[in-house]
Amino acid sequence: MGGPLRRFRFAVPYLLLAPGLLWLTVYYVYPAVQMFIASFWSGSLSQGYTFSLSNWTNYTDAIARYEEQFVRSIVFAGLATLLTFLISFPLAYTIAFRGGRYKNLLLFLVIAPFFTSFLLRVISWRTILGDDGLFLGPLKGAGVVPEDFRLLATPLAVITGIAYNFLPFMTLPIYVSLEKIDRRLLEAGQDLYAAPFMTFRKVTFPLALPGIFAGTLLTFIPAMGDYVNAELLGQTPSTRMIGNVIQSRFLVNNDYPTAAALSFVLMAGILVAVAVYARLLGTEELTSGV
Amino acid sequence: MSQRDSFLDRRITRRTMLQGTALAGVGAFLAACGTPPAATPAPTTGPTTGPSETPAPSASAAPTEKPTPSAVLNFANWPLYIDQDEGTPPKSPTLEQFTAKYGTKVNYVEAVNDNDQFFGTIQPPLQAGQDTGWDLMVLTDWMAIRVIRLGWVETIDTANTPNFVANLQDVYKNQPWDPQTNLRAPWQSGMTGLGFDEAVTGALTTLKALWTDDARWKGRVWFLTEMRDTVGLALLEMGKKPEEVTEADATAAFAEIKKAVDAGIVRSFLGNDYKESLVKGDLVLGTAWSGDIIQAQLEKDTLRFAIPSEGGMIWTDNMLIPKGAQHKYTAELMIDWVYDPKIAAQIAAYVQYVSPVKGAKEAIAANSDPAVADLAKNPLMFPDDATLAELHIFKALTEAEETSFNDQFSTVMGN
Repeated sequence: MGGPLRRFRFAVPYLLLAPGLLWLTVYYVYPAVQMFIASFWSGSLSQGYTFSLSNWTNYTDAIARYEEQFVRSIVFAGLATLLTFLISFPLAYTIAFRGGRYKNLLLFLVIAPFFTSFLLRVISWRTILGDDGLFLGPLKGAGVVPEDFRLLATPLAVITGIAYNFLPFMTLPIYVSLEKIDRRLLEAGQDLYAAPFMTFRKVTFPLALPGIFAGTLLTFIPAMGDYVNAELLGQTPSTRMIGNVIQSRFLVNNDYPTAAALSFVLMAGILVAVAVYARLLGTEELTSGV
Repeated sequence: MSQRDSFLDRRITRRTMLQGTALAGVGAFLAACGTPPAATPAPTTGPTTGPSETPAPSASAAPTEKPTPSAVLNFANWPLYIDQDEGTPPKSPTLEQFTAKYGTKVNYVEAVNDNDQFFGTIQPPLQAGQDTGWDLMVLTDWMAIRVIRLGWVETIDTANTPNFVANLQDVYKNQPWDPQTNLRAPWQSGMTGLGFDEAVTGALTTLKALWTDDARWKGRVWFLTEMRDTVGLALLEMGKKPEEVTEADATAAFAEIKKAVDAGIVRSFLGNDYKESLVKGDLVLGTAWSGDIIQAQLEKDTLRFAIPSEGGMIWTDNMLIPKGAQHKYTAELMIDWVYDPKIAAQIAAYVQYVSPVKGAKEAIAANSDPAVADLAKNPLMFPDDATLAELHIFKALTEAEETSFNDQFSTVMGN
């Protein structure tokens, strides 16, 4: 029995990789190649499209025309990631170090809202943030905010919406890295007369970095391409993000070349941003831990 | 009221929701778009070629079909756009009766959630000269025009559709893009005008309100994402006719729309989901569809729909037989079936849009249920001649115009 297996042992890793590779080839590589080709098309739906490398101007035209939405996406995604981090870190810290026997329950509570559909949650936020809704209604009644104040259709609604929707993606990785910190290291810090804050800064925080790194990526990357929050909570021309533009180019204007070019610019932009970020935090953090 | 609930569903599903999920299919869709342009079939039924009244051209297209009803009919329509009974799963009396009469099982699928998205699914086979799998599909007139322009429809053999010939309201006949009235059969129509919450805005009659900086509605106004509705009303506000829109008029209209956006009067550009915000009170004034407001009045009775003094828009969803349809004759029988005034009344009483069928009003008025009979008096469902005279149909755009207008409209909407 051992003989033949041993002979083909070299093939085992490839066999194990095959399903994943096949999946990626069919559902990622093939469409991506198609889309890349489409980004060099010119023409229209009824005239047909022609491929030409000289259509690289699709890229420059797309960037020039949608610069505003690109910048907005970076700013919104960046602020949302920061906000998510500011909420998640104390949350994860408390659960990891003070959770005690309620740890699992608390973790469950973090994830619980996400058992409902993403769309339903965003739509409920519209109800909560409504001009005369649960939140603003009483405030307006009490005269705390002016009658014409609104949250919906503002950048604030989109950013907080994104932050809310990605909260577990930030909280869980940070929790995992905090949870596995060896408590003896913290005790050692105290023994060496470090103030609690110093222990946090010199021991806890650096050890949590892999989780923070993973959490930021899991939040920032999808937030950059976010379509739903801007569509449902934004709903105003001045909060459109690049995802909305791509959707509209593809499905409303049938402008496949521009849509494809925008998608690749977005992809390239995210890759560059992640590379810079990984550099800043040190690439080891990418693979260690989480 | 299950009927009311289903209408709520329809608003969400019909256009807005699926646009998002449709993105997932874009990769595969693009793959299909790579077919060489040479495969584009030459337009054979476009308005310029002037299809003849005789049934000859239709017979040559599909595999020769004997004039007997087929076993199945594949019918693609918008969600909740046909009468349904209270059963589980609900059945459509209209379709059940059709099956009883002709023995045809109707494979009725709510496949059209969005004009553009549905077009994406039929475009690859049609471009390759293949059958789409549908025998009958319902598209809004501008999309119907596009499909007709591409030569992707079968001519309806009007010899098989006497009810359609006799009962189609005259206003729909002899459109420039369907000169013989045999390329499409209207399903339902609706109006676009002013929708507002009278309790907040007071009674409104003029489109000028949409450009007026009034504290009662500033920042709580929406425009429809349907380019023809919003641009049509902007043109009317400017004293221009949507039937005769030129490139220069359109550019001026986009500038006019942008004015209202930049002034902070207009908050959003919305599809069907404007109704939800209107009922909740986030929005109080905008460009609205008549059937929506009739439905929304059940939830908020201060909502009003008004055809503006400058005029309103009328649009139509149309049944079309896609090129190469397998059961063309049966599709024609279905068209004829829904043009029977009794059947048309049955559908209209449920969906509450404007029926294009002569006699539907009388059939509704004769209904033994007074609540249904009263619908015959509703001017939004049965507009009289004076009302119809105030309504405009958007010009059939050339492809160049459509591309240019959509592009400019996108820019105004922030895309």
